[in-house]
Amino acid sequence: MRGAPFAARGSGALAETALLEARALSVRFGGLTAVDAVDASFAAGELVGIIGPNGAGKTTLFNAISGVTPPTSGQLLADGRDMRGQGPHRYAAHGIARTFQTPRVFADMTVLTNVEFGMQFAGRRPGAAATAALRTPDTILALIGLAAQSALPAAAITPSQQRLLEIGMALATRPRLLLLDEVAAGLSEAEIEAMARLVRRMRDELGLAVVWIEHAVTTLLRHVERVIVLHQGRKIADATPAEVVRDAQVIEAYLGDEMAQPPP
Amino acid sequence: MSDRHLVRDVLILIGLAVAALAVPALGSEFAVSLALTCLMYIALASSWALFCGRTRYLSLATSAFFGIGAYSGALALQHELGWLSAIAIGAVLATAVAALMGAAVLHLRGTYFAVLTFGMTELIRHAVTYFEKSVTGTVGRVLTVLPERDTIYFTLLALALLAMATSIALRRTRFGLALAGIGADEQRAQTLGVDTRRVKIAGFALTAAFAGAVGAAMSVRWTYIDPPTVFNPFIGFQTVLIALVGGALTLWGPLVAAIVFSLLAETLRLQVPQLYMMSLGLLLILSVLYLPGGLASLRWAMARDAWRALRGAWERRLG
Repeated sequence: MRGAPFAARGSGALAETALLEARALSVRFGGLTAVDAVDASFAAGELVGIIGPNGAGKTTLFNAISGVTPPTSGQLLADGRDMRGQGPHRYAAHGIARTFQTPRVFADMTVLTNVEFGMQFAGRRPGAAATAALRTPDTILALIGLAAQSALPAAAITPSQQRLLEIGMALATRPRLLLLDEVAAGLSEAEIEAMARLVRRMRDELGLAVVWIEHAVTTLLRHVERVIVLHQGRKIADATPAEVVRDAQVIEAYLGDEMAQPPP
Repeated sequence: MSDRHLVRDVLILIGLAVAALAVPALGSEFAVSLALTCLMYIALASSWALFCGRTRYLSLATSAFFGIGAYSGALALQHELGWLSAIAIGAVLATAVAALMGAAVLHLRGTYFAVLTFGMTELIRHAVTYFEKSVTGTVGRVLTVLPERDTIYFTLLALALLAMATSIALRRTRFGLALAGIGADEQRAQTLGVDTRRVKIAGFALTAAFAGAVGAAMSVRWTYIDPPTVFNPFIGFQTVLIALVGGALTLWGPLVAAIVFSLLAETLRLQVPQLYMMSLGLLLILSVLYLPGGLASLRWAMARDAWRALRGAWERRLG
């Protein structure tokens, strides 16, 4: 069921069931177009990666599809409903959760309270799927591996633990779609692998749709089923990892120095 | 959200309430007047800290809500609506104005928010002055229907207790958690599902309800009110000072600081008013520089360590 249908772009049938869909979405800051007429659609249970060089508009796209930065033009639909003009809390209420590139945990609160927070707000909405792993703050802490740090202030744990806590805070809102913004940045090799396993577990066991931005392209391509490639704000590819690495445009724009083999 | 300190806090509050109840029966006229000032600032500073301390939205509008409460309370008394209705009207009107003001300025942060709340306070004061001069043709109002001294005292005691009880309760509610989240990282709180705009307006209005009720209760102390008296910006400044010096995030800090400041005010202001203002300023500077958590963050251990460090330095010099 997964994989093949998602490679098709913007097909009508898919649009009906998308958790979140962006149509010709643009974000402009003054003269700069950070996101340029991007179409993207995310369905239940998908694991999608977003890659692109620095300044390609990855984080700006995330900000736009989580309500943090209002788009300049284009359409945003959650379950087919127009989300324009709505604040981030409405996105959370639709089951769209996100993490931030630089962890934004509540430094003075304990690790436990940080997780409880989302559960007390978006996580309480009627119809929120409280699967066994997301039932209580403790089950979430167990999932992200921070049970032992539960009583510590969030400021006292390590930066890599704070990245995990960011994910725990987002999970506490009991989302259907999880947006991960460079959760593996700055982690060691072993930590990156553990993070990738966690991401897969969230998709496989919790049934979440996960959209994952990462700068470390090789790691990302190994784990996702579909990749969206951004370049200078535009979407230049939207296909399986295998297709993307063969795409001439992508290789030229981004992967050239990292992925492509030098000609013999 | 822990209940660790709940029993302790409630017991302390009951103890203080019993002590305060005894003041009118046992104390002199001066003691009652002093206690009244203490209660007024406990109610104002604790309720200010409820919202402003948690969310770090520094509001200078306390005197606006206090003045609105004082004026509406005085009008209600003149129309013989009764004491409790006067207090309630003061609270409700201040709440309504705060909700409007909050909707207009709560999207701003930091200095902009502080300056705008102060500007709006001045605007309200001048509007009331203008209204009184041109419509009702007065510069001030003489209050003729006055309640007993003890009625005023017990009303303020009730308001101070209510403010403290709200502070205790808020620590254990979702509303309090939302306010703390807004103070820590507003946008993060929003992405976790907090309707920050609504929460902020509700919190600001709650603060104003207390200031309005206190204003209505205090207006009768003056027997004659005019806008410069009841909209005195000093009331707002002093509330902020007390909460910050005491520790705006703590439960007991504003209470302790309110008592200290009221005692200082009553003893120093009459004899050496400049000294009072100077000590206020000095206390604020010292607390911002060395005690960002306020007086309440002082612990005996800190005093002991400081003493040991001093003694150590002294002994080294001798040795």
